[in-house]
Order: sequence, then structure tokens, then C-alpha cells
Amino acid sequence: MASLRMQGLKKRFGTMEIIPSLDLEIADHEFVVFVGPSGCGKSTLLRIIAGLEPITEGDLFIGDQRVNDLTPAQRDIAMVFQDYALYPHMTVYQNMAFGLQMRHTPQAEIDARVQNAARLLDIEPLLKRRPRALSGGQRQRVAMGRAIVRDPKVFLFDEPLSNLDAQLRGQVRSEIKALSQRLKTTMIFVTHDQVEAMTMADRIVVLRGGVIQQVGAPEEIYGRPANRFVAGFIGSPSMNFLPVNLADGAAHLPDSRTLNIGTALRGTAVLGIRPEHFIPAPEGTGMPVDVTLVEPLGSDTLVHFLVGDIKCIARVAPDTRPHVGERLPLSVAPGKAYLFDPETGARLA
Amino acid sequence: MSDRTLSQPRREQLMRVLVIAQLVILAIGILFPIAWMVTSSFKSSADVTAYPPTLLFRPTLDNYTRLLQTTPFFSYARNSLIESGSSTLIGLLLGVPAAYAASITRASWPALVTLSARMAPGTLFLIPWYIVFRDLGMVGTYGALILTQAAITLPIVIWVLLPAFDAIPRSILEAAGVDGCGILRSLWRVALPLVSSGLVIATILAFVFSWNYFLFALVLSDENTKPLVVAAFNYIGEGSTDWGGLMAAATLIALPPLVLAIAVQRWLVAGLTLGAVKG
Repeated sequence: MASLRMQGLKKRFGTMEIIPSLDLEIADHEFVVFVGPSGCGKSTLLRIIAGLEPITEGDLFIGDQRVNDLTPAQRDIAMVFQDYALYPHMTVYQNMAFGLQMRHTPQAEIDARVQNAARLLDIEPLLKRRPRALSGGQRQRVAMGRAIVRDPKVFLFDEPLSNLDAQLRGQVRSEIKALSQRLKTTMIFVTHDQVEAMTMADRIVVLRGGVIQQVGAPEEIYGRPANRFVAGFIGSPSMNFLPVNLADGAAHLPDSRTLNIGTALRGTAVLGIRPEHFIPAPEGTGMPVDVTLVEPLGSDTLVHFLVGDIKCIARVAPDTRPHVGERLPLSVAPGKAYLFDPETGARLA
Repeated sequence: MSDRTLSQPRREQLMRVLVIAQLVILAIGILFPIAWMVTSSFKSSADVTAYPPTLLFRPTLDNYTRLLQTTPFFSYARNSLIESGSSTLIGLLLGVPAAYAASITRASWPALVTLSARMAPGTLFLIPWYIVFRDLGMVGTYGALILTQAAITLPIVIWVLLPAFDAIPRSILEAAGVDGCGILRSLWRVALPLVSSGLVIATILAFVFSWNYFLFALVLSDENTKPLVVAAFNYIGEGSTDWGGLMAAATLIALPPLVLAIAVQRWLVAGLTLGAVKG
């Protein structure tokens, strides 16, 4: 159990800069999720913490100890790999016991810890099997068991759910979250899936091109995105973005329609509206849109429409069932219109 | 007859027959000289040189009894075992870590360098090699023969194991690192068990190549360190050759590698890495 601190951390592969310079602190017992698109440096960052990639510049502390030059073995971390990386020639028991044997833990304690973790993960009947006789979900549990028995300072998860089918993914997601609350260990979880990030994290770190875009609690990242990238990345379907001209408290849209958003700002901006923040307006008010596609999801309905030539999506109540081609008046929920700088992408309001 | 006129099962049947025919032809090509060697070793000196060759003959053990009575066959065999066994061991001791290191660092040049020893014809090195060992006073010693044959076994071990190590998913080795293994322990506890069939193949090939290596052994050995292959050469005289004796010796020489290969055959199975990662 330990905190984690990165100071001026840089990573280059040859001349390619993966992480330009990164500062981040992770508190003891915190569940932090690194999220971002492919190639954003999140896995590299995790591998740096694990000691599997050397640091080009800067410092990494686990607890109070600077660990730059420590091997993975010396850092007292445990990692769950994306492909699980179980030892194929060992049984489930041996896979879980291996890390403890390497650390010369007494056999009785190894046995107790493995049995305990197996009970926790519900894999007791599998202990004598080899990995090739397990299903994907079972392998995933064994990989977690191998990490749990070690009782490490920090748990690292490298996209551990990406190889599971959708149903199992949801189940394991809740299990990992429950586990984190029970184990009270510092956990760092890497994913490109914003739903995983939102549902599991105490704090989310959004990365892009090796640069932290925003660090915050899930509701903060969702409700107060720092910039257009974060706003577009978090939330599904993504936030709608429209280039607008601001004048007299209203946003003038590309197709010369006007949307009243009550802002004091003036000039050009990018208007961001989440699909769920569009609300059907009474006839004769709001912004009438021509429906191009309707996707009923059961719990709600996605309505596609065009503003100029920009595709937009609104998420409306399931009983709102417009037809394709129908004209539907929409307005924006009060205080839910985001404005971004068209050049820098920073949030203006 | 075009392909279209053949139904799917008939085509598969035809393919199977062709494959079997091909294997039979290959097997005959490979086994014929061996069968010739073995049958000749049981022929009398009159039969062995008869022309046209006799297919039916009265088998005799004369060649074997003469071989074992007139030559110190077992001391040659011991020499062969010492030299091939030791050079195989050295090849494994140096080659296994070398192949592992080359694999995890993705460095290909060391493997290429060791291969160069196999690419050039051995006769090129024969004279300088002899001079080196003569100056060291090692000609005729086991040491000279073992070191020479290790130059044969080392590249074999490296080249058989390198692709086997390369085939292990990196994440497994990284997991071993996170679990607390240093590089040698991850080799011993994780990587080696996963390449066990490659290790067996490397051991057999190294042993067989070393066992059969003739030229350097001929030049560097003396009466006390002479291996079997060189001793068998005694049967080829300047005036006459004892073909029956030579074939009996050859048959006995071929036995140990054959027995070794059969003994470890069950290890030669692939697929141990199945189930290591997502599936």
C-alpha cells in the first residue's frame, strides 16, 4: 500500500517522444484510471511504473522511495496483463504461488494466501488445472489472483477486460471495483474504454499524446471537461460539436439558425452539447431539426439529425419516437451548453 | 481429367495417396543406405563384395566378433561419448543463455556470428586450428576435441532455441519479472520449460553432429582419444578395405544417436505454450 508520484517524467523511444513531461500524484488506496485513445501513452506510462520500460528523464516515487533504477521485482507491484500472461506450464495454483515462492514466503503462508485469493475470486475448483484448460474469463481471474496473493504496494491493470465478451466485461468490471474497495490498495487501471473509466475510477486521468488533459473524479470529468478533447472522449455517444458565432446571448449556428444558450461571451467558439442534454421543445420554440435516423435503445432513443452538414445526436426519452424526415424542435437543458476555444480547444464556459 | 470431374472426397483420397507415395519414396531413399550398411555388416567377406550383390545370404556375426576382438572398440566408444557428451554440454551451457539473451534483446548479430562458423567449410579452419592446438600442446587431448566440437554444437543450440524463445509471448517473461524473477531465474523457471521440446531437439542435433564429426577428430585425436568415427576409418586400408568390418563398425556407431532419438521422441511435441495467453 503506497502512494505514487511522477515528477517531470519523460519517455522517448529513439527520437520519438511518447511522454513529453508528466507530473502526477496518486494517493494511497486510490483507484486511478488512465484513459485515452490508442497511442496516447497510457500503457507506456503503466509499464514505466511497473519497471518494464526505463524512464528517459524525471523521477518516479512509490511511497517515499525513488524507484527509477529498481527492477520490476524490486518495486513490489503486481500487474494484470492484457493477455493475462499466465505461465502455461504451471497449474493455476502454481501460477498464483510463483511470485510468493520467488520472494521466499514460507510454504504454509503461500498455501493460505492462494486458497484465500481463490475463494475470493471463486476459482477454487480450478487450482489444479493448467491455463489452457480455462476459459477466457477464468484466465482473467487467475491473472487477478496472481496479483492479489502478492499483496503488493500497487496493483497495475493493463486493459484486462479488452479480451472478454461484453457481458463478462460488465461483470468483471463490477468485481474489480468491489475488490478494490475490499483490498484497499492503490490501483492503476489502463483502458481506452471510457465506460470502464467512469464506472471504476476514484479519479480519471485523461491522456492524449502523452500529455495529461485532465485529472479528476468521474463526475468532474464528465460535468466540467477541461477541453474539447476530454469532452468528446468521455460520454457515449460523444458530445456534439458545432462551430458557432456568439452574439447577444445566443449561438448562431452554421446553417444560420440560432440557439439561445444565455452566454455573455461573444465571437467565434465551438459549442458542445451532450446528446442527453438536448430536450424536445414545445412546438414553435427551440431549434427545429430534421430527423435522419432513429435508434430506439429501450431505455432511451437516439435521434440523429444534421446541423448544416454536421451530424448530431440527441438522446431523448423512449416515448419520444419521431419518424425519419419528421421535424422535431429541440432545445438545450439549462446550463448544459459547453463552449470551447476554436483554436486551443480549451473550455470557455 | 479436370479438377471439376473429381468430387471432394475423391480428391482428398487422391491427395492422401499421393502424400503417402511421396513419403514412401523419401523413406526408401533415406533408409536404403542404412539397410545396405546393416545387411552388409552381417555378410561374409565373399558376400559383401559379390557382384551383382546377393540379396539372400547366410548371416554371420564374424564381422562383429572380429571388430570387438581386434580393436579396442569400447575405449573408442568411451572417447566418443566423452567428447560428444562434453561438447554437447558446453554447447547447451553457453548456447541456452546466449539464445535467450539474443531473443530478449532482439539482437540478431550474435546469432549470425556463430552461424558464420558453420557457413565456411571446416577444411578452411583445419590447418590454423591444428597449429593453435599444437602450439598449446593440446593435440591428442580430450580438451582439444571437446573444444573443437563445441564450436559445432554451440551454433546448433543457438539456432534451434532462438526461434523457440522468440515464440514465447513477451508478457509471460515480463510477468515473471514482476513476480520477482531476475533474468537467469526467468530463463530457468519460465522460459526453459516452455521451450523443452526445442531443447530436446537441440540436444539431439548437437550430440549427433558432434558424434559424427570426422575431419577435425581425425587430425586432433591420437590413439588414446580417438573417437569411433575415426577408428572406423582404420578399416579403409591402402591396398584393401575390410568392408564387412567397416559396415559392422558403422552400424554400431549409428546405434547410440538412434537410441537417443527414440528415447526422447515423446518429448518432441509442440503446443506447450497453448493457453498461455488469451484464447
